[in-house]
Amino acid sequence: MKYFEDVRVGDTAALGSRTVTEEEILRFGRAYDPQPFHTDPDAAAGSLFGGLIASGWHTCAITMRLSVEAMQRDGLAGMGSPGIDSCRWLKPVRPGDTLTLTREIVETWPSRTKPFGFVRSRSQMTNQAGEAVLTIVGVTMIARRPESSR
Amino acid sequence: MYFEDVEVGATQRFGCYEVTREEIVAYAREFDPQPFHLDEEAGRRSQFGGLIASGWHTGAMLIRMLCEHAIPGSASTGAIGFDDLRWLKPVRPGDVLSVETTVRDKIESRSRRDIGTVKIESRVMNQAGDAVMTLTSLVLYRRRPDA
Repeated sequence: MKYFEDVRVGDTAALGSRTVTEEEILRFGRAYDPQPFHTDPDAAAGSLFGGLIASGWHTCAITMRLSVEAMQRDGLAGMGSPGIDSCRWLKPVRPGDTLTLTREIVETWPSRTKPFGFVRSRSQMTNQAGEAVLTIVGVTMIARRPESSR
Repeated sequence: MYFEDVEVGATQRFGCYEVTREEIVAYAREFDPQPFHLDEEAGRRSQFGGLIASGWHTGAMLIRMLCEHAIPGSASTGAIGFDDLRWLKPVRPGDVLSVETTVRDKIESRSRRDIGTVKIESRVMNQAGDAVMTLTSLVLYRRRPDA
């Protein structure tokens, strides 16, 4: 298990990759973001995006999936998040794009009252061309190492 | 409604989104498979005291309500992102969510005469009137063609 004490400011890691399919883009768009450029390939072709693109909230969801997989793989004791400072959708995500998540630790501070610490990190998703499509600066809570094992 | 028609301070209230256990678990299986989003018993043992929706799922429910009630009739061409998202309270099965939006600012583009940015704060509220999530979206609006 890895705890708050194991997280260091400046640490940078590649956390994983995922290829986005047209089927997934349509399914997410129809469920949550039914605008034509997320739900209808023909209408999307005539939109200012020139084709079907993923909902920005879908790209955020894929970022979360890769984060959770990395957290579980590394045994990091995550305890949720109070929020996100900023999120920018920089470029469209299209069917067949392969997105890779990297993350840098920006700041850490312990809770004064609870048995966890806060970690502020900057996450970036890049596509197969190396272009940044999404950046997120956000905060997560990570459990403190139990006293017995410090 | 074009960029010129948007008034800073204007508010809207809309939406009636019933959150089901099935939807919470289905979203979590695909995107956020942490125990407190997947399983009632694991949720009870967590700091949340029961099954709760992924915060990103609440964001997805917000955009659904915006698509149904706010985006039609507006000259919005999509958002470039958001700032200051706060997950304030857990969202649980059976909650009924609604939205209150407030226009916070309008920014003219320096490089493009056909578009402007509108900062819109969204508050997602549960059936008790408690805010469960707030954020400020940066939405692009087309300008009036004749302006």
